[in-house]
Amino acid sequence: MSWIVGVDVGGTFTDFCARHVASGRTVVHKRPSTPDDPSTAILQGFAELHEIAGFAGEDVERFAHGTTVATNALLQRKGGELAVVTTRGFRDMLEIGRQIRPKIYDLQEDAPPPLAARHRRIEVGERIGADGNSVVDLNDQEIESLLDRIDVLEGIDCCAVCLLFSFLNPEHELRIAEALRRRRPELFISLSSQVQPEFREFERFSTTAINAFLQPQVSNYMTHLKTQIAEAAPNAAFGIFQSSGGLMSVDRAAEFPVRTALSGPAAGAVGAIVSAAKSGIKDIITLDIGGTSTDVCLIQDGRAALANVRDIAGFRIRLPMIDIHTVGAGGGSIAHLAADGLLKVGPISAGAVPGPACYGRGGTEPTVSDANMLLGRLPESLVGGGMTLDRDKAVNAVAPLANNLGLSPEETAFGILSIAASNMVRAIRVVSVERGHDPRDFTLMPFGGAGGLHVADIARELGMTRILVPRSPGILCAEGLIVSDLQENLVGSCRVKLGADLTEVETILADLRTRADAWFDQEAVDEGERRLRLVLDMRYVGQNHELQVETSGETCAPDLPDVDKLKRLFFETHERAYGHHDPDAPIEIVNLRLRATAKLVHGESATPPPAETPRPVSRHNVWFDRSGPIDTPVYDRATLPVGFDLQGPAIVTQIDATTVVPPWARLTVDEACNIIMEIRH
Amino acid sequence: MSGTGLDPISLEIAWNGLKSITDECFLTLMRSAFSTNVKERHDHSTAIADAKGRLIVQAEQSLPIHLASMGGLIRHIVERYGDSVAPGDMFIANDPHVAGGTHLPDINTAMPVFKEDRLIGFVANIVHHADVGGAAVGSMSGGMNEIYKEGLRIPIVRLYRKGVLQDDILRLLLLNMRLPDERRGDLNAQIAACKLGVTRLGHMLERFGADYVTQAFDEIVERTRMRMRSAIAGLPDGTYAFEDVMDDDGISTEDIRIKLEIRKRGDAITFDFTGTDPQVPGNFNLTMNGTQSAVCYSLKALLDPDVPNNHGVIESIVIVAPEGSIVNCVSPASVALRLNTCQRLVDVILGAFSEVLPERVIGAANGANTSAVFAGIDPRTAQQYVYLETLGGGMGARMTRDGKDGVQVHITNTSNLPVEAIEMEYPLRVEEYALVEDSGGAGTHRGGLGIRRTIRPIDHECEFNGVGERFRHAPWGILGGRPGMPGRFYLRDDQGREHTLPAKASGIRITPETAAVIETPGAGGYGEPKSRPVQLVEEDRSSGKFSEEYIRDAYGPAIA
Repeated sequence: MSWIVGVDVGGTFTDFCARHVASGRTVVHKRPSTPDDPSTAILQGFAELHEIAGFAGEDVERFAHGTTVATNALLQRKGGELAVVTTRGFRDMLEIGRQIRPKIYDLQEDAPPPLAARHRRIEVGERIGADGNSVVDLNDQEIESLLDRIDVLEGIDCCAVCLLFSFLNPEHELRIAEALRRRRPELFISLSSQVQPEFREFERFSTTAINAFLQPQVSNYMTHLKTQIAEAAPNAAFGIFQSSGGLMSVDRAAEFPVRTALSGPAAGAVGAIVSAAKSGIKDIITLDIGGTSTDVCLIQDGRAALANVRDIAGFRIRLPMIDIHTVGAGGGSIAHLAADGLLKVGPISAGAVPGPACYGRGGTEPTVSDANMLLGRLPESLVGGGMTLDRDKAVNAVAPLANNLGLSPEETAFGILSIAASNMVRAIRVVSVERGHDPRDFTLMPFGGAGGLHVADIARELGMTRILVPRSPGILCAEGLIVSDLQENLVGSCRVKLGADLTEVETILADLRTRADAWFDQEAVDEGERRLRLVLDMRYVGQNHELQVETSGETCAPDLPDVDKLKRLFFETHERAYGHHDPDAPIEIVNLRLRATAKLVHGESATPPPAETPRPVSRHNVWFDRSGPIDTPVYDRATLPVGFDLQGPAIVTQIDATTVVPPWARLTVDEACNIIMEIRH
Repeated sequence: MSGTGLDPISLEIAWNGLKSITDECFLTLMRSAFSTNVKERHDHSTAIADAKGRLIVQAEQSLPIHLASMGGLIRHIVERYGDSVAPGDMFIANDPHVAGGTHLPDINTAMPVFKEDRLIGFVANIVHHADVGGAAVGSMSGGMNEIYKEGLRIPIVRLYRKGVLQDDILRLLLLNMRLPDERRGDLNAQIAACKLGVTRLGHMLERFGADYVTQAFDEIVERTRMRMRSAIAGLPDGTYAFEDVMDDDGISTEDIRIKLEIRKRGDAITFDFTGTDPQVPGNFNLTMNGTQSAVCYSLKALLDPDVPNNHGVIESIVIVAPEGSIVNCVSPASVALRLNTCQRLVDVILGAFSEVLPERVIGAANGANTSAVFAGIDPRTAQQYVYLETLGGGMGARMTRDGKDGVQVHITNTSNLPVEAIEMEYPLRVEEYALVEDSGGAGTHRGGLGIRRTIRPIDHECEFNGVGERFRHAPWGILGGRPGMPGRFYLRDDQGREHTLPAKASGIRITPETAAVIETPGAGGYGEPKSRPVQLVEEDRSSGKFSEEYIRDAYGPAIA
């Protein structure tokens, strides 16, 4: 009897999804998070899951974990006491960055100060040149003097070693690390040649500094959790979810915590891909509406696009990660009148505390949730019974705004929803229209608690005709965890013109494949489960920006294509991204990226659908447009059988999510138990 | 609030729709352009204007200096072509003196949008082209004493007439520019972005009708104007004066005076530059549109950074700038390096407001757009190379915090080139990229530090050209703050001997035994140094950003 368990820890809730591999039986669970020590909720919830699903800890073969420990440490700037070692002449690199300021018209806002104060950024006499050869050798006295200078720094517990051109020649970084480990064995050490060995020093140094800064805390958390899981689930392999969309071992997560910094929303994208695939849908735009923000992600042919650079709390991270666009608009966004008298929604949010007024936790400002409540879109008591919402409080919160506008509370609430929807429409346009995709070719997929409340309005605004509401929209991230594979992303830098000798590229590829094999061996991956995907970063000579050119699908042994094929692939990619290409301009290869994936057993979800005859649990008045309320049936999602077909209006509720089906939408439940909504335009 | 019938909800949604159009045009332009300048430095902007030529919406990432220029172009179209504007026309222009531009490399395009026979407005965009001909590669070199030397001047002409490309015009333009293929690529991108904007605005007109959309235009401008006016009304009435002096124009003029008097009554405000020096032979002159950009930027940054960028902002202010002065130059004044003057105008405006807006203003910033160009023949390939960089410097100190060190300020926000990218691309070695010690002016809060970049040619001789400002006239402090350090260019040989170069350095030979050092200006402090909190002085010392001598001199022996 073997089970896979996924645990996603969010700020408010810790979500669980467990699947029995042989039968496909899938069980979900949710409990409040314990931010002071996230492992408390994990272990308690895991014990509760035993009861619900009827398995024992010994039955779990894999435990997959999505964590925000690293993200929160960075957001709150609560990480280690960091020192940085860098090439002489460059200790200010982390402070100057790209010499730009965050907002062009704001004289008061700065980029955050570096994670290591200037006196903790130590220079060392050495230099590697652009060809990878040493220009200034690193001698032993320099190393000794460096160690002495580090010894006088008080209280440091982690150190980032960031030398110029270390991605071409890591020797100096390795020698410094070795000496540091000898003298200061207690320090956590991150090398830029290991964290992300790519050119562009600021991005590499910044990513490495963040990694070192996160190491003490994340490593501590991982070790602690690993021990506890080893007791609670002694037979389970323990995987940590990374921002690029796959799992890594817990030891690797402790070594490279920066890889988890954006893992939360990424798991949702993986869950969305798998859920939609069951309905035979591969082109989707996800819409994850939370309390303070909305994440959208475009998925084409069952794959999410990857981004390589992202800022978190003003700190730059360069790593492959699922490309998710976030806007500050969610259920808790507050509606207010701006200086020009226009109604605005967000970016200020009521957050989890006090939350929207209708939650009855002391909030008094009108939020998007209050508007939904007032218009009858949110039922007063959620089906799970976990929370009662107070309509009067929502009315009271919206009333002052309505008075100022000279509108009725309902008209005002409708205005709030329309503006919130128009903000989310802009977010979807960013990932679709602005990147050359027509949203009408995609299915819109809401998840999170509030996605279903707005999805029909947003789809109509964008001319999209089909919506897919997954079976468990509130728990999609945890579901994504149990269907994720083990993954490692390797990168090697070069600078080779296409048409010249490609031996150097071949050598780098061979080296990457050796490193991939070593990783497969280390993770004890069977030969048959090993997959590799080769991507080349290429550009026209003189360009400062690379395009990722995929050379093959997943294979066991990717080879370098010949020059003609490489050219053709580059032209295609350039054409897709920019709408043109130049067949005669010289092209160069800048990086090789090899993604190693170990296929894991996921099982197929086979939880039986309900067979009851659905009956509305209640009816009430709901506003779908300004013309007035309509008497609308409310259904419990758990009672909707496969093949169920319904013309709106309707409200569908489930434990942690509500879906609004307007009069101009039709709903069916498909074989996969997903709700498909067709929008009439 | 006065209204023309659109409620605050519909208007917000319509406004969102218009912003989406300009943003989509912006990205389309970026995606389909050929040059690095657009693709990576994003030196372009897009906007929608109404039939009167008023700017209504611009893309989120549009640049402050482009705002007035696009408005200028469309006003000129309306004035000059009026009733003859027809569907399918596309206008192109760059001239600062007759077509609303600010310097020649910025080429504007605009296309009218009609609903049936009614002209509704224009979709416009602007791109900084890497070369528009003239005496020197890049059309941005110093030392040009008339605009004819700076590049090809394009008055407002139709590149498309009723949907038909005017091929003769296009050939005339391209023949006068270096890298014509790249120019053609970037122009095609501008054309594509214009056409896209026309289509998208057309959809909006179909959906909402012409009256609704034009009402929305009026209301957007009106509401922005009122928002700006009420912010202006919040300032105390009075007259505020300030002046500053620029170093030189790189040819023959030194100590160029910028004089400003601001008069504020009720919700009206006038920026009067009477007394400012005449236009100069060197190419540091500003056209009226450039001056307008600097004033709008400053007012927005000081009063309401989130106020939308549209005609409503421009309408809220009056500018008096004597014709023929450096802030309202006339033909044939040369203008390529106008950004340095723009930066200085911002300093002067902030300086004038220092008594009345002490919580908003900042000390003088590095006040320049320091640029450095290294050129030569790469000994490895025998190919010519040109490496250009613009460098940030200190940002002025603020009431509650120090000025940021090593950053682009005010009108510009372009990023640097990574050291590893430079060395892989060019036969140069970057020996140092650091903050300049002691370069921030002391104060209760101190000014930001300048940047030092030290570069040496490898195995060959190269040529160095640089443009610096605030190399003699230091960035001043405010409300008792001390000045920051001026910038400088110098050569350093292997014996450590330094040889100072002029602020407008041109044609300097550098051997592999010598390094060129660029030090950009720091910035001025804020408030009396004696009030600086002890723990901040301690940070100045422990960070190594300031020397013991500096600290003793600025903050007294007691604290040192």
